[in-house]
Amino acid sequence: MKHLKAINSKAHKVNEALKNDELDEVMAMQSPVGCTATTDPGWEVDMFGSVSGLCQPMEADLYGCSDPCWWPAQVPDMMNTYPDWSKNADSATKDWRNLDSVYPEEKE
Amino acid sequence: MLKQTLFGISLILTTPLLFAASLENDESVGAKLIRTNCLGCHIPTDKGLSRISYQRKTPEGWEMTINRMRLMHGLTLNKGKLDIKGSGLHEIVKYLADNQGLSPNETRGVRYLLEQDLNQIETQFDDDFLTMCARCHSGARIALQRREPKEWNYLVDFHLGQFPSVEYSMFGRDRDWLGIARNKMVPLVSKKYPFTSEDWSSWLAAKKPELEGKWILSGHMPGKGYFSATMKVNQNNKDYYSLNIEGMYANGEAIKGTGSSVVYTGYDWRGNINFGDISLRQTLAASADGQTLTGRFYQKGQELVGMKITAIKDASTTQLLSVFPSHIKKGETTTLTITGLGLDVGSSLSLPANIVANKVVSQSANRIVVNVTAKDNAQIGYVDIQVGEAKLTNQLAIYKQIDALEVVPSYGVARVGNNGGSTPKTNALFRAVGIDYGKDGIANTEDDINLGYIEEVSWAVVPRDEIAKKDKDVKFAGQMNSHTGLFTPAAAGPNPERYRSTNNAGNLNIVAKLTENGNEISGTGRLLVTVQRWNNPPLK
Repeated sequence: MKHLKAINSKAHKVNEALKNDELDEVMAMQSPVGCTATTDPGWEVDMFGSVSGLCQPMEADLYGCSDPCWWPAQVPDMMNTYPDWSKNADSATKDWRNLDSVYPEEKE
Repeated sequence: MLKQTLFGISLILTTPLLFAASLENDESVGAKLIRTNCLGCHIPTDKGLSRISYQRKTPEGWEMTINRMRLMHGLTLNKGKLDIKGSGLHEIVKYLADNQGLSPNETRGVRYLLEQDLNQIETQFDDDFLTMCARCHSGARIALQRREPKEWNYLVDFHLGQFPSVEYSMFGRDRDWLGIARNKMVPLVSKKYPFTSEDWSSWLAAKKPELEGKWILSGHMPGKGYFSATMKVNQNNKDYYSLNIEGMYANGEAIKGTGSSVVYTGYDWRGNINFGDISLRQTLAASADGQTLTGRFYQKGQELVGMKITAIKDASTTQLLSVFPSHIKKGETTTLTITGLGLDVGSSLSLPANIVANKVVSQSANRIVVNVTAKDNAQIGYVDIQVGEAKLTNQLAIYKQIDALEVVPSYGVARVGNNGGSTPKTNALFRAVGIDYGKDGIANTEDDINLGYIEEVSWAVVPRDEIAKKDKDVKFAGQMNSHTGLFTPAAAGPNPERYRSTNNAGNLNIVAKLTENGNEISGTGRLLVTVQRWNNPPLK
């Protein structure tokens, strides 16, 4: 890290956390059941228990993350399982409304 | 090609002989569907079928497995359509959960995942396990499976092949993930969650509870209050029931509804019931003697709209189930509702010392409504209520004052939704529990008295930190109903009004307040307003 210089607020925040020894695994795992905080950044919550360190708006780089199955429990991974998930939404920022849930719903 | 065809034919011809007796001979629809649909890939073995016969799971676990076969491997139940009803999936799940499920003891402690009671942090697992196995999904998802060691190893392989990011995302790339998974995690889970267990063998052989009859149930619905009801359960076929529920909230709002349920593995109840203007799902576990059902009613997709339920089955003896409200203040008069069985006129109600019954408002077999006064000299603490020989122990608290409020859940999650997208909003719903610090007046000591849910509180959200304040999370993330504790998150999608069009996420604190003896008492919880998810299996 000594050859890298933080240039934005998130990077500064990581530096601060490292300095304060806050970035330990125990803290990072303290998120509610089924949420992920540790895929740098997490999906629901960041490693500091906040939302300001997440990639948001998440639509801005959604496919850059779903392609390499970054949050496979929450976001359909397009590498292996759901390669056609984005077929009706070329631009996630504009077309996110066309993205469907993938788990088959029970018809009641 | 010819060789492959001959091998295929020989496999089909010899297959029935190699099946385990139960799967080979079972004429249930589920077993037949397994024989028809699964043999293309799963090879007969001395114990049954490869992979399938070496694992045990909950109904939801099996459902997810079969849906994975449909989504990833082209299994074409229901002519390839993914609609569940009528597809045969239910029958396969039923067979597998009944014959390769988990015993009541094996699901104990992790039923919150089955009950969709998700707004909590899993603290019972060790850190290694959480970091290796539960950083994308819950730990309970694993704890609700039983596998032979070879099958746990296959699960590692599956994760690495299907989701390779497991090795290069955080807490994967900083260690020998595969080495630790193989050499540490597989032995750990093989020992902790073994395929073969005495507990399971005993449960499989045990006589299963009879659940038809009349049940009395009680709970507390956030935003609504205490609830009690009778539920008539009629058996249509073995393990399949129709339901009829009649009840009311403490505020007098009546509920009538009908529904149906299926019981898996002899005790694991899944139901659906119309409940006023909403539909609730039921995840309950029957006790071995068939006399109690415990679990949760909840609204699908709105996990916090739900209540823990305890139900007891009608019997000839007097029994007590609940009392609400669960607290009386010294020197005050209130109306208590006591629920149970055999509480008709003639059963004598005994109240604790210095709690005076002013008037029995009504009395029926399942409910006594009584107006009571707690005298000034009543001792504070938990007390018993008795009707005839039946006793309700320590469920009523006598208190002097509310010293603190505890927000439940202490860490809630709401998700943005709607706005034309496919995912609805996930609301958050909070309740407040009152605490009297007891005789010593000091917080967190042994004599603290938990008063149960307090209805008369007001609700607000505030920024959790400086960043949330600067980003105006309170303004953008959603609305809190100050009376009910219901938080409705804002719309999904990028918000051009926010910095860099960020989502309507928010890092908030929940504040519950009331005025007690002229002093303002407050309690704080946490609310994470976050983005939607597009992958919503029943076990998250």
